[in-house]
Amino acid sequence: MRYGMGPEVLRDVSFHLAPGSFHFLTGPSGAGKTSLLKLMFMASRPSRGLITMFGRDIATLPRDELPDLRRRVGVVFQEFRLLDHLTTYENVALPLKIQGRTEASYRADVRELLAWVGLGERMQARPPTLSGGEKQRAAIARAVVAQPDLLLADEPTGNVDPEMGKRLLRLFMELNRLGTSILIATHDQALVSEAGAPELVLKGGRLTVRG
Amino acid sequence: MAESDDTAPDLDAVSERKGLRALVNTLLVETRSVMPAAGATGLSLVLVIAAMCFLASLALGAALSVAHVTAGWTSDLSGAITIEVKQSNEMSSDEQVRAILYILSDTKGVKSARALTKEDVTALLEPWLGAGNVTDDLPLPHLIDVRIDANAPPDLIALSDAISMAAPGAVLDTHRQWQAQLLHAARAAEFLAYAVLLVVTATTIAIITFATRAGLSANREVVEVLHLTGARDKFIAAEVQRHFLHLGFRGGLIGLVLSVATFLLLGLQSGGTAGEPSLFMLPVSGLRLGDYPALIGVPVAAALVAVLTARITVMRTLHRLL
Repeated sequence: MRYGMGPEVLRDVSFHLAPGSFHFLTGPSGAGKTSLLKLMFMASRPSRGLITMFGRDIATLPRDELPDLRRRVGVVFQEFRLLDHLTTYENVALPLKIQGRTEASYRADVRELLAWVGLGERMQARPPTLSGGEKQRAAIARAVVAQPDLLLADEPTGNVDPEMGKRLLRLFMELNRLGTSILIATHDQALVSEAGAPELVLKGGRLTVRG
Repeated sequence: MAESDDTAPDLDAVSERKGLRALVNTLLVETRSVMPAAGATGLSLVLVIAAMCFLASLALGAALSVAHVTAGWTSDLSGAITIEVKQSNEMSSDEQVRAILYILSDTKGVKSARALTKEDVTALLEPWLGAGNVTDDLPLPHLIDVRIDANAPPDLIALSDAISMAAPGAVLDTHRQWQAQLLHAARAAEFLAYAVLLVVTATTIAIITFATRAGLSANREVVEVLHLTGARDKFIAAEVQRHFLHLGFRGGLIGLVLSVATFLLLGLQSGGTAGEPSLFMLPVSGLRLGDYPALIGVPVAAALVAVLTARITVMRTLHRLL
């Protein structure tokens, strides 16, 4: 993959994530972790190569079939990308609303999840008034609320203390136990060793598997 | 547009509202959209749409009003014809008038015929020539005012032939030419009013298209997050068009109120003695009661135009994004 006419950021990257697997994605800054995730949540299309998600080639997928695929993927963006004009509750409930579910059907679930990530008191707050850690947890809650088949998280524990980091890891593992494949891009070696999951290491645009 | 922070989760009450009240609420109370409201442009956009709807209502009202007036003319003028008897060397004017009256009394479809006296003709001319200026040596034509049955009119061509045979120099004036010119002017005014309506509609569509595009590009980040969360274009369009439904309807209502007030004012004026107000020199005598429902269609049409324009614009704009 490349951006515009720039050099290829990723090349000869080949891997397969089995359904229900749990992987970390590590590597030095600028190695292409975020680019790889972008390809996987279909924000960018590959300039060459084959990416198959849930049995579909996403490079050639027609535009109107993207939403169905994206709904099966939960994403925690590195910069959170919460919607500032909505409350924390509305932000977290967004994927369910987009799926066309009525508020009555998900209100209790969303509240429970928010309480679980420690945002029970901040439900009506808007993202600009949240701390970095709170935003991160809201972003994670939004990514997992619809129980996606695949969760992609970009530095999900970068802004929280180690205690909350462990708590969030437990959330990911719980989700994984329920059948969601997890891929977490991180610099946090403590998190990786804590989970004991295999590691995909990106370096110089190439990928190796460790563990 | 003014949303308080506590509206979101406590929507229990909303589902209980039903029927008409729900409809009114849908149109007037804007629920929070996933797409940020246009914010500062909201009020100015409402005002612009209000102005457009005011113009549209005026144009529509004028068109309807002119249509009524011309319908009145057609029936009024069709009931009357005039015969003009010019001086002739062959017969005296009085003989001519007598001969014509004889023919008219025998013609089917003629309700009445009356020869205008010299005083009548003088009275008709005085407004133009000034009182006392109509002298005896002025060669005045004799006029015969004929009332015909508009439902079963006589054969005017045959009548015209018969009259000119009996009285050389007599001319049948059916007012057709005068009527045709008036009608022509009225039709032009009506056409103009509908043209204004068309231009106003096109302008509104253009304004809403720009506003929608501006809103989308200002909220590119939101659109991208929604897309990545699996939202279809339809979902985003629905959120945006809900906003424009309110804008359109509110603006339309304001415009309607202003225009109804204007027409009522016109109606009041024409009720007075100062003569009827006019539009393009044609009298506009307020609106009839039956015309007001058509005006109520204006805010509805405004909301519809706003919604459709926003939807089409969103769908087309989003399609160009990934």
